[in-house]
Amino acid sequence: MNLAKEAMDWLDRRLGVSDLIHSNMGGYLLPRNINIWYTLGAVLMAMFGLQFLTGIVLLVYYVPHTEKAFASVTMIMNEVPYGWLLRYLHVVGSNLIMVFLLLHLLSVLFMGSYKRPRELTWLSGFGLLNLGFAFCLTGYLLPWSQLSFWATTVATDAAGAIPVVGDYLVAFLRGGPSVGEATLGRFFALHVMGLPMAFLGLVGFHLFCVRRIGISSPPFGEDYQPTALTQHFHHEEHPGGVPFHPNYTIKDLSMVFFALAALVAITFYAPWLFIPLDALDPADPFTTPEHIKPEWYFLWAYQTLKIFPSELLGLASQGAAMGFLAILPFLDRSPERRPGKRPIFVALYLLGILLFVGLSIWGHYS
Amino acid sequence: MSDISENSSQRRTFLGIILGAIGAVIAGAFSWPLFRFLSPIKKSGEAGQVKIPRQQVQVGGAHFFSFQGRPAVLLQPQAGEFVALSAVCTHLGCIVKWVGDKQEFLCPCHAGRFSPAGQVLGGPPPEPLNTYTVAVDGDDILIS
Repeated sequence: MNLAKEAMDWLDRRLGVSDLIHSNMGGYLLPRNINIWYTLGAVLMAMFGLQFLTGIVLLVYYVPHTEKAFASVTMIMNEVPYGWLLRYLHVVGSNLIMVFLLLHLLSVLFMGSYKRPRELTWLSGFGLLNLGFAFCLTGYLLPWSQLSFWATTVATDAAGAIPVVGDYLVAFLRGGPSVGEATLGRFFALHVMGLPMAFLGLVGFHLFCVRRIGISSPPFGEDYQPTALTQHFHHEEHPGGVPFHPNYTIKDLSMVFFALAALVAITFYAPWLFIPLDALDPADPFTTPEHIKPEWYFLWAYQTLKIFPSELLGLASQGAAMGFLAILPFLDRSPERRPGKRPIFVALYLLGILLFVGLSIWGHYS
Repeated sequence: MSDISENSSQRRTFLGIILGAIGAVIAGAFSWPLFRFLSPIKKSGEAGQVKIPRQQVQVGGAHFFSFQGRPAVLLQPQAGEFVALSAVCTHLGCIVKWVGDKQEFLCPCHAGRFSPAGQVLGGPPPEPLNTYTVAVDGDDILIS
């Protein structure tokens, strides 16, 4: 008697698992010309999974208290066996996640995959990008270093520019007039419980949307034709396509391994890329270090605030840019997805990338 | 066409095996650091000796301290005579109390009683308390 087959049959009789597996794996067909950019979702899932794992084990030793947080992180780095490895994987992993999130965003924009009927997939993905930012912001404070303390002070201070409620909002974010024990408590709770729960819910919805609506065809090649819009729900099928498993899962897995190789290479050879010198001193609320800068993915926002004569204008421009991105599928309603036939969009797309990179470099050297 | 398809399938199987093998190696390589990370770590004072100033334990009194990560107790039954014992009851692991009036240990969980030398006087404990080596070094007592 084959025990595995018996177990499978037992489950199958009750839950119909073989049908479920077939319809989502071997029988789930993807476009034949699907490209490598479609693997970024799987790469991000793997990287987030690793963040969950390393985050949980770091919690074994981390103490969320202003008097003990820095010492506990120092202990993890210097005394706990392989503590340095798990912390570096967590730190470097968070930065790589931002890279892959941005690449995912750019590829979806370039291929027009955000367009109708995928507005909800886009909105949930955009929400996940912002959750990524929130994970980074809240996690940044936890080591309670000079860098953590002052970067959080500057980041939370920006909310003060909002008229009428600004001061209250700053105090609410910090749990008091300045960054302190209350800030650490709420950022810790958000980082390890609030945000992960929101993330799991949103990623579940995102994947549901992807599966329910169907994978969008890459808008390249002579065979591509824009999908006609319908008034009713339509699942995009790809008859004659390649099966999700094993064809695409192998490609997904290969890219996941490339991402892990990059993660391990930076972790072993250049972890200092993401851990500047100010991160090595414990927080001192009475001494602001010189040239305090946010992480690279916030540099564009940091520089925007410096360019505008008023902080409110800077914040408003950031809000406008993010708001525009969020509602893009509702503004860009044409079914055309081929980049060659969308010259205005592609020009704006390239300008947007240049602006992001330019502001970030400017912010870094300013 | 079928040759190409078969060839492609073979390459995919080969790639799958390679990726699986690399994954297994990575999982193996990282499970050791993870295991070591989660294993108990030795802190200072948990290994070797513990030094306690002599005046901290009075004649007929007891001084509780941590030795190798576990509660221990130092007694001075008579002037200049020191005894160091584990403070963990051998019954179910509760921490014994020193009853100065009776010059004996009492376990608050199930009323096990031990003599100042750690011998069982009564109650459920199956074994005496563990004893440690004590040495007098000037004004300090060394427990090892």
